[in-house]
Amino acid sequence: MEELKHKLAQILEVDEVSDDQVLESFECWDSLTILSIIAFASKDYHKEINTEQIRQAATIKGLIGLIAK
Amino acid sequence: MNFTFNNKSITGLLVILPSRKVRFDEELDNYNFPHAKSMKLKLAMGYNTRRIVDDSVCTSDLCVFGLKYLFERGYIDKEEIDALVLVTQSPDYFMPPTSNVIQGILGLKKDMICMDINQGCAGYIIGLMQSFMLLEQTSIKKVALLNADIMSRKVSKRDRNSNPLIGDAASITIVEKNLVDNDIYGNIKMDGRNYSILIIPAGGYKMPSNIETAEMKEDVSGNFRSLDNLVMKGDEVFNFVQREVPPMIEELLETGKASKEEVDYYMFHQPNKFMLNKLADKLEIPHEKMPSNIVENFGNASGVSIPTVICFNLAERLLNETFKLCLAGFGVGLTWASLLLEMGKMKFNKIIDY
Repeated sequence: MEELKHKLAQILEVDEVSDDQVLESFECWDSLTILSIIAFASKDYHKEINTEQIRQAATIKGLIGLIAK
Repeated sequence: MNFTFNNKSITGLLVILPSRKVRFDEELDNYNFPHAKSMKLKLAMGYNTRRIVDDSVCTSDLCVFGLKYLFERGYIDKEEIDALVLVTQSPDYFMPPTSNVIQGILGLKKDMICMDINQGCAGYIIGLMQSFMLLEQTSIKKVALLNADIMSRKVSKRDRNSNPLIGDAASITIVEKNLVDNDIYGNIKMDGRNYSILIIPAGGYKMPSNIETAEMKEDVSGNFRSLDNLVMKGDEVFNFVQREVPPMIEELLETGKASKEEVDYYMFHQPNKFMLNKLADKLEIPHEKMPSNIVENFGNASGVSIPTVICFNLAERLLNETFKLCLAGFGVGLTWASLLLEMGKMKFNKIIDY
């Protein structure tokens, strides 16, 4: 889980992330960041997720649930 | 499904690019996004310069220009062309076939077959497969495979999702019978259930173009386009490619009894640098073996990106040397197809400007 958070922090261009942070509040949040998350989930977690699911996940906690569930 | 072809080879390749260049940096103001975000996208996707036609230029113009170039320089004799196969999603007319139009303009012989195929990103591979099949006939000795698309005319200039990557181009591939005992392996798959992932919704018989279909609307991400424009669900295309292409390549190599290392280059369709690099990573192929430099130099002209990536990266080396290549196309349809073949000792392999 810590490894996943560390990787998400890298993609989101911050030092660390916490569960309750809202995805859209990140400064770098855009379509490329979303695509980077999709690519990461596909490669490292063999999990296929789409833009709509990520938007609905809303927070870091939601996103972790989506990728690691 | 697997295909095998014998005693066929590609003897010449010509790519025709429009001379008009558009740079990503010049178009930043078209998009409803901060410049800094667009520049980040540029870096990741490999956007830079693309080649597009002027609004009056048609598919037939690019193809006729290229064929005349080959006739005039003696690379091929027009009487030798027994089949003209044109793969395009941008025909001059709904009817007649654009290949017939090209045949007429050039005054090719009547004792031949002309054929249009409506396919996009995987279209070059399908065109090659069709050419190989035609060459099974004794009366067909030489096929001119044309692949052309001018999608810039169907993309909204205010759509950052598609506009920065689209380029226009045409290619002419000469495919012939040969006496050397060689095997070419192919693999193709289709999924029409997901036909709407890459689509131009209006303009056909299903939804004829009218004032309403021309109306520009903003999508959830902030891109403006109309129903007359090309629309692409980028995330779904990405997932489709990552899911379906690696197993297809594994299957192709297994059928062709080749290891990943034995293949000199993976000359794939060029959607963007990001997707190709992720694909190479998933297939565990070094990035140098899968060139991804076409979008940044010329843009993605759907299926034509495959002959372009071959021509641009191997150029005159293909005249003297021989390479084991794996070609693959994937996208609109949805269609994904691949070929494993030797290419080399070609009579010509070059890029010209229109």
